[in-house]
Amino acid sequence: MPLNMAWRRLGESPWRRLRESPWRRLRESPWLFAGPAVAAAVLFVWLPMAATFGLSFFDWSLLRQEATWRGLDHYRGTLANPDFHLALANTGLYLLALLPLQVGVPLALAFALIRIAAKAAGRLYRTALFAPSVLSFPVAAVVWLWLFNPTVGFLNTLTGAVGLPPQRWLSDPDLALWSVVAVTFWKSFGLNLLIFLAALANVPGDVVEAARIDGAGPWRRALDIELPLISPALFFAVVTTFIVVLDEIVGAVDVLTEGGPYRTSSNLLYFLYERGFRRFQFGEAAAVAVLIAAIIAGVTWAQFHFGERRVHYD
Amino acid sequence: MSRAVSRRTFTLAASTALAAPAILPRAALASDTRIDLVHLFSGAEHPIQKLIKAFNDKGTGVTVVSRQDGTTYETITQKAMSAIAAGRGPALMTTGWKLGDFAKKTLGAQDFRQIFGPERTEALLAKFRPAVRPLASIGGVPIGLPWSMSTPVLYINQALWTQAGLDPRAEPKTVEELYPMVHQLQEKTGKQGLCYEVNEWLPQAFIQNAGGNVIDADGKAVMDSAAAVRGIEAFVQPRHDNLWRVMTIPEMLAAFQAGAIGVMASSSGRQTGVRQAVKFDLRLAQMPGLAGHPRRMNSGGNFLAVYSKIKEQQDGAYKFMEFVSSKQGFEIWLATGYLNVTVNDIPVPPGNAAAYAQMDSGLTSETIWPGARGLEALTVHIDWITKIVNGAVSVPEGLRADRQAIEKLIAA
Repeated sequence: MPLNMAWRRLGESPWRRLRESPWRRLRESPWLFAGPAVAAAVLFVWLPMAATFGLSFFDWSLLRQEATWRGLDHYRGTLANPDFHLALANTGLYLLALLPLQVGVPLALAFALIRIAAKAAGRLYRTALFAPSVLSFPVAAVVWLWLFNPTVGFLNTLTGAVGLPPQRWLSDPDLALWSVVAVTFWKSFGLNLLIFLAALANVPGDVVEAARIDGAGPWRRALDIELPLISPALFFAVVTTFIVVLDEIVGAVDVLTEGGPYRTSSNLLYFLYERGFRRFQFGEAAAVAVLIAAIIAGVTWAQFHFGERRVHYD
Repeated sequence: MSRAVSRRTFTLAASTALAAPAILPRAALASDTRIDLVHLFSGAEHPIQKLIKAFNDKGTGVTVVSRQDGTTYETITQKAMSAIAAGRGPALMTTGWKLGDFAKKTLGAQDFRQIFGPERTEALLAKFRPAVRPLASIGGVPIGLPWSMSTPVLYINQALWTQAGLDPRAEPKTVEELYPMVHQLQEKTGKQGLCYEVNEWLPQAFIQNAGGNVIDADGKAVMDSAAAVRGIEAFVQPRHDNLWRVMTIPEMLAAFQAGAIGVMASSSGRQTGVRQAVKFDLRLAQMPGLAGHPRRMNSGGNFLAVYSKIKEQQDGAYKFMEFVSSKQGFEIWLATGYLNVTVNDIPVPPGNAAAYAQMDSGLTSETIWPGARGLEALTVHIDWITKIVNGAVSVPEGLRADRQAIEKLIAA
């Protein structure tokens, strides 16, 4: 038998077919495509989450690699800690102040900017309003620390000009949190502005035109036509802003007040950061992380459960 | 005879000439022991950069690499901890006095006697004044070179001081003398009279000068004793008298440098930076004590600790510390504003006489926060001091709550 024929026979053997079969099945399987993404998620998200959950029951030192079983002590300790209560209450205040601001103001600005006829002026406004979003907090803080200075700061010069007493913007326990709110808003609202501008630009022109022909004025068109049509973007902005406020505010808190004076401007994530990376109590920090994850998961579920029904996806 | 250079010769020579600057220093460095020095000092012109360069230029076979990992002791400690856990810890690190206990028990700062031997350790520390040698020892174990010492002093805006009609050379010995002067300055100039740092360090000076302690020799929290209460009441007095508008330390420095504050109490170690930034005549005066009590001022700063467990790097660190302690090295280092704590005969730098006089009359160490939760105890203490300063709680109540919270953390 010629050699090439022998090879062909071998290639068609049941053994070869058997060997090929799982590969072929795997090749046709969706796991081949989803595998890398799933592996990355398992390795970098689910395993660390599981490890964090496990760590929350121990006292663990990063350097000595020793772990002592503490059971639910870290959870009990955290839930009884007045600083945690304060951080939780402050987080609520930050959300109450920043959610409407970071969604409402960019939405109003987007409606205004989309109507600017002059393209150059529109681009200038968009750039100016988005610019703070690309600055890092440490850079922005240098400017804000000067503005907030209670003795030589610009803000107190302004308040003085209208006859108000000078304020201690960052060191007054009643004001520090609101100063952080102001800086975070200034720094972060630009992203939502871009999202709303993009959504408004995609509203079908013929629908708006039809409404206009039917006699709908600018307000009616904005409220009854454009707003419902951009509701998916609005819903997306609300959900992500909630998470961004929790997350991004840590940068502002750290550079402006370090959570002070006496924790009055701290929030949940900063509380976690202090436990983990300032005091090196990793077990306690892990318990705080689990509690925060539970709170975020609960609120996000509520947002989807109650908010998504008002969203028009078509 | 033709002197023309062939193309091949020219190409070879040119390539060698171009490659040499890139290759030769690397080759030289490759044979050196390389040690990272982690610190918190900013700026290319900071004396630490000059000190490192002067040492490296000596060609001892050790190359020190400057690594600024933050601007506070806590920040560089956090990063060092992560680096040590990853097996890439610093060989040397400037470690705050207050973090000494943590550095030894948690970070693993090395015992000098074990890594250098008793004789070499003694020889190194003998270059420092006897009073400062114990400051970098934890439980009797020397873990650091006590090279950076500062003490709280008054920074006086001499332009405002004289404008207010005050004696240009007046040095208030007690806060009871200082506060009326500050009141006069504020009345006459319309500027803020005084500003204190709100932290754990300056209040410690007040507590000690009233006869109390923050933590006693047995490691027990005693910051609510009658003497300590008297000290903190003297500390917050200018706040009640509207002579002191409370602000953060960066805000205080910016305002003082802009000429908006008459007198600021801060670390003598800030002197170089403040002096470079101000446009008015600046005078430093000793920190006043409290009437009727002996002066008992505290010190602060950092020590140089060895964290490397590699013998070669430990020996390299020793060579660097020998240079730092020498007259040549310390003359460079004193440009920071830190005090000359060595036995080297170096003239007092201009403008620093007050801090030296304060050191000569004796300084105590900065409070070292004991236990595995010492860093947390420090933060809690600062929080209670801040509450007291802001009037959220009375001095006795605040210090009592402070002591109770600290006791729990020390015992944990």
